Amino acid sequence: MALKPEAGGLGTGPADETAMGSDQPGNQPGALVTSGGALTTRNDALVEAVVVPNTLWQATDPAAYGGGQPTDITHLRDLEAAGNGRRDDARWSGMLEVIPTKADYVLDLIRANSLWPLLSGLACCAIEMMSAATSKNDMDRWGMFPFRASPRQADVLIVAGTLTTKMAGPLLRLWEQMPEPKWCVAMGDCTCSGGRYKRSYSTVEGIDRIMPVDVYVPGCPPRPEGLIYGMMKLQQLIKDRRGHWPERRIGPTVPEGV
Amino acid sequence: MDRLFRRRLEARFGDRLTGPVRQRHDQTEIRIAAADVADILRTLHDDPEWRFELLADLAGVDTGTHMQVVYHLWSVTSPDWLRVIADGLCRDDPRIPSVTFLWKGAEWMEREAYDMFGITFEGNRDLRRIYMPPEYTSFPLRKDFFLADDAARSPGGGVRPMERSHSPRDAAPGAVRQVRA
Amino acid sequence: MTVTRNLLPPHASADDPRITLDEEVGGIFENVPPYPPRTEREAEFYTLGDGEMFINMGPQHPSTHGVLRVVLKLDGEKVVDLDPVLGYLHRGVEKLCENADYHQVISQVDPLEYVSSLFCEWSPVMAFEQLLDVEVPRRAEYIRVLSAELNRIASHALFAGWMALDLGGLTPILWSFIERDEIVEMLASLTGQRMLFNYFRIGGVNGDLNHDFMSRLGDWMSRAVKQIDNDTGLLNENEIFVRRMRGLGVLDRDTALRMCATGPNLRATGVPFDVRRAHPYSIYPEIDFDIPTRTEGDCLARYLLRMDEVKQSLRIIDQCLHQMPDGPIMAKLPRLLRPRPGRAYASIEGPRGQYATYAISDGTDQPFRMRIHDPSFIHLQMVGLLTPGNLVADTMAIMASLDPIMGGVDK
Repeated sequence: MALKPEAGGLGTGPADETAMGSDQPGNQPGALVTSGGALTTRNDALVEAVVVPNTLWQATDPAAYGGGQPTDITHLRDLEAAGNGRRDDARWSGMLEVIPTKADYVLDLIRANSLWPLLSGLACCAIEMMSAATSKNDMDRWGMFPFRASPRQADVLIVAGTLTTKMAGPLLRLWEQMPEPKWCVAMGDCTCSGGRYKRSYSTVEGIDRIMPVDVYVPGCPPRPEGLIYGMMKLQQLIKDRRGHWPERRIGPTVPEGV
Repeated sequence: MDRLFRRRLEARFGDRLTGPVRQRHDQTEIRIAAADVADILRTLHDDPEWRFELLADLAGVDTGTHMQVVYHLWSVTSPDWLRVIADGLCRDDPRIPSVTFLWKGAEWMEREAYDMFGITFEGNRDLRRIYMPPEYTSFPLRKDFFLADDAARSPGGGVRPMERSHSPRDAAPGAVRQVRA
Repeated sequence: MTVTRNLLPPHASADDPRITLDEEVGGIFENVPPYPPRTEREAEFYTLGDGEMFINMGPQHPSTHGVLRVVLKLDGEKVVDLDPVLGYLHRGVEKLCENADYHQVISQVDPLEYVSSLFCEWSPVMAFEQLLDVEVPRRAEYIRVLSAELNRIASHALFAGWMALDLGGLTPILWSFIERDEIVEMLASLTGQRMLFNYFRIGGVNGDLNHDFMSRLGDWMSRAVKQIDNDTGLLNENEIFVRRMRGLGVLDRDTALRMCATGPNLRATGVPFDVRRAHPYSIYPEIDFDIPTRTEGDCLARYLLRMDEVKQSLRIIDQCLHQMPDGPIMAKLPRLLRPRPGRAYASIEGPRGQYATYAISDGTDQPFRMRIHDPSFIHLQMVGLLTPGNLVADTMAIMASLDPIMGGVDK
């Protein structure tokens, strides 16, 4: 196959829109690649950011996190333009006004590449989580080796295993003890929706009934590769600030009536 | 199936058995009254002729009309499992003597039977809930405890027994399955 | 922490009603327990002597057995008494089985002892086969024994890793998981799943041996002994490991029988009770293997015994492979199973002990009562018996040596 000049400029990936998923780092969604064979540079003026107004979820506690953010801001550019984003680089306030975007980007990279999970294996999925953390499928490649025992030191809570009503209280307490920034991964069918124990009298049908979930990893149990894929999705999510933790609602992500 | 074992049981406990000694595959089953449990199990445990030193299982059963406690025992003197069914506990206030004086390991099994059925074991020093939270008020494995089910509320109603409406409000009288177990 | 509701209302942490401030009586800690003691044992346990304190090893803790809460009564570093609190993983399997078909029961009981799923499936399947008077084809029995012994090796490998992890060693668990991953991939090529296999069926097994499985098995068997010797040699000859475990948590024969212990915990005290020999089932009478027994009854004996069992399992697998007959792998059964009313009890020797099912059938297509007897549940009672007098760190060692799996404990 002869080398062709890449359409759409360097770094945009091949012009064939069907080749790779847009969620892979380095690949642009097909909509952004201008058609045509010649080398064209991306013209930002022509490229509109897609802003999806968030009308589905309501804030469960309007007083959380100092008032919270309006739920329709989903793009970083708009957030910066709004100016009222509560940033975690408060110590450097004033100094980073010049290059706010770059510092946030670096901080997000740091967070994404060294997520420390909390050792919160409840049931069978915990074995697959341990399998994902040990030699054959090594999560340490992405920086997730130390499974912290204390919630104070953990970034991400991988809930692996069935959540029962008796355990719901301690699990929520663990979640609240974790300091921001924190994310939650629901691993396994039981945490996503109740799984094979949905009809039972003592299980919680999915942890999103009690805590906000960022990534759902289905499977019973999900293969270690599946969990790793979920964690990579989480990393991408962090870098894109889609699960932007200061603006995220605390409490359930399931809307009323479900 | 140990025929000799059956004859020995009938000879020794004949007057206190409330049903015939049944044998099937590799199990021998005797039925006794709840009040005789402590006595008979002590005999089975201590007597050198029987030597049923291993309590394999202690289970509660809700037959719909009454409750049972079922013990499974093993001994070197017989190749069969011995199943002792203590029958006839009333569903309102099931009480039965505890066997923790013979096997301390029965303590948690009796706690579980209490938690799931409400059977009170007299003599158990630690009869509290083991699986459900302490302030739980129902006994889940009873036959009148129905699982909530979404499909039951759907217009279709559900054709499988599990999907039919089981909430106690609209359960017809006699809906509790009653079998001779 | 005793207040639990199905749907917890959201609230900000700052005004958490469960946390009291320092000025109030009891400080930041809730009263333990927040209700008056209900039983004799509770009253005895929750009365503090002079200089004693309660430490809660909460449902989330670094030990990997699962969600077990242990309330320790300590005198300094020494454990005076302990009270395990279970139920954090109670999923109501027995009730769900009563509402499910006979076939659906197999997938419901899988996650009970999730590291040894095939044993969890074997026991109910045997009970239902007794109820139905079904004879399982010989090839199916051999495949069952083969896959189950593989699962036993995987489970014991995991036990060795966890044992070391609870004592602080971080390397053996990595090595165990290498072993386990190999075996589990083998079983995945046979059953389709890495963990909760759903492989046994009433009357046989789901799928026959295939080329992928046989090639992986042959490859693994050729280096298994050397690999296992290598892995166990790391621990057996480690002075810290041996000295910590020797003499710890000694269980004697009479106590073990009174506590209804079975499996390796009982055999380590000198009682050679193995259900495969005492009450043979399946094709174990045709297979030649020994029952390792030790008499010391301490943690080290239990660990070494399980490693001996791994070697015996390899022998069994070898014989299964050589004696494997041809034939069908499933008995002919109708789709909808309606056994005659009756009762059946099936007991097998799992890696943790005697795993049994008591099934009552009432003639319909759903079991009337499915009682699952789990060995981990029984063995966890022994923790309260063996730990007093030892240090806090030894609690984990004793618990690890009894090898409980919380899925089985809590059902």
